[in-house]
Amino acid sequence: MLSGGSDGVIVLYDLENSSRQSYYTCKAVCSIGRDHPDVHRYSVETVQWYPHDTGMFTSSSFDKTLKVWDTNTLQTADVFNFEETVYSHHMSPVSTKHCLVAVGTRGPKVQLCDLKSGSCSHILQGHRQEILAVSWSPRYDYILATASADSRVKLWDVRRASGCLITLDQHNGKKSQAVESANTAHNGKVNGLCFTSDGLHLLTVGTDNRMRLWNSSNGENTLVNYGKVCNNSKKGLKFTVSCGCSSEFVFVPYGSTIAVYTVYSGEQITMLKGHYKTVDCCVFQSNFQELYSGSRDCNILAWVPSLYEPVPDDDETTTKSQLNPAFEDAWSSSDEEG
Amino acid sequence: MSWKRHHLIPETFGVKRRRKRGPVESDPLRGEPELMQLFPRGLFEDALPPIVLRSQVYSLVPDRTVADRQLKELQEQGEIRIVQLGFDLDAHGIIFTEDYRTRVCDCVLKACDGRPYAGAVQKFLASVLPACGDLSFQQDQMTQTFGFRDSEITHLVNAGVLTVRDAGSWWLAVPGAGRFIKYFVKGRQAVLSMVRKAKYRELLLSELLGRRAPVVVRLGLTYHVHDLIGAQLVDCISTTSGTLLRLPET
Repeated sequence: MLSGGSDGVIVLYDLENSSRQSYYTCKAVCSIGRDHPDVHRYSVETVQWYPHDTGMFTSSSFDKTLKVWDTNTLQTADVFNFEETVYSHHMSPVSTKHCLVAVGTRGPKVQLCDLKSGSCSHILQGHRQEILAVSWSPRYDYILATASADSRVKLWDVRRASGCLITLDQHNGKKSQAVESANTAHNGKVNGLCFTSDGLHLLTVGTDNRMRLWNSSNGENTLVNYGKVCNNSKKGLKFTVSCGCSSEFVFVPYGSTIAVYTVYSGEQITMLKGHYKTVDCCVFQSNFQELYSGSRDCNILAWVPSLYEPVPDDDETTTKSQLNPAFEDAWSSSDEEG
Repeated sequence: MSWKRHHLIPETFGVKRRRKRGPVESDPLRGEPELMQLFPRGLFEDALPPIVLRSQVYSLVPDRTVADRQLKELQEQGEIRIVQLGFDLDAHGIIFTEDYRTRVCDCVLKACDGRPYAGAVQKFLASVLPACGDLSFQQDQMTQTFGFRDSEITHLVNAGVLTVRDAGSWWLAVPGAGRFIKYFVKGRQAVLSMVRKAKYRELLLSELLGRRAPVVVRLGLTYHVHDLIGAQLVDCISTTSGTLLRLPET
């Protein structure tokens, strides 16, 4: 797992629980520390692996740069400089036709950087204030969603020159081209964006303490009401959706806890308490079905689903290993069954 | 003493509030007339239609998504109008359409008989209200679809039927709602401060309702309590002695 800190340091962790204990610590494999010549000078806001393999990763920071790193040598392969601080960047997880990285900065224009050619001349205009979050659709190669401090969320097709496809409207008013300027997705800044894993719905959170679920094909507000989702963040809030559960969950940082809701019904399942200070970001690892969250108390916590264990019989006193039975060896070394 | 109160505010009391433990209202249409009865009509001398807030409906219906969707359906069927109350972008007032139409007709036309407003307002009520169920109206919709001139739109804003939202778009409004909003905001702050001043910042609901309402609270304690619970400004915790209202930590 890749993590970036507010001191500019980037650390890579190995998430495997090889100690077979129920409480374990993940070791850091390597890090880009303060002594590295190319380390970011200010806080690292967003880090992302190259979607197709772990040979490369990208990181963007308040020092107005987006850096592309080679994992094996831990050197920068490329640096993109911008005029304003970078709040967020994202590279499309499904695309094989383009290598564009969408970057949201303090300026109102969304910049698209091409990793193949090294240029960042493609700009998407339409927002009026800083762009706090960007996210590519996991379903279509060219669809991008951007969220801005001017309360608007826009869906773009980057091949189209004339402007955004849809500006999301929380009141689901009548659609017409001239109307778009008044549509707002939230009543405050829109801090975070997350597509569901199938790409059909989009979740947005805003500083009006609301989270909204949108149909990403027509921009309609599905009116699922999650209640008050406290959000005081001045920067982007990174939240995540589960992948592979029977009813998908959304994990949102809520003060110093993480609130878990079912995506399509809006019901709050639980609040995960463990951090001491405000939680800023969380990610979900679908292979292990684990949630990792980072907070201002300098800790990253791993939230592991607790499995139901069979009631132990009284006469057996085997030492139970805490390893998930799916990962245990299933072959025996005896030759009885040939 | 209580007879005198009944006389002044006829329909405030005598309505049983449904708490979460009681029979649960799953249909906001049945819950709304009850909430409408909590609205003190006498206070505004019948000039305002009874306004219920969306947060009050949430306090009656346990699942907010279902409440939102049913309100949206009622809005599309034309039974209710949802109106943006100015003090908080999230607070929406819900009014029955016939109530809105009768009150606006009565009070606006009475107040501005002979002035140029009357014609524009009549035209608005007759053509725009039944056709468009949204909260807001756009410039081209008003000029092209409904044939309003700019001067007529200005008349509508002066009469209080429309409020400016942005350049070229307007919210639907209730004329004369300023007084209601003033009483509402003051009353909400007063009830919240009653909970805040309590020891440990929590109060049993029964105790809160049993207290004498401060003078600032003109709309009734029950009305405000429904709103506070639905807007999640207080946490509702069920205990063995009843429901407890506690201010949230953050």
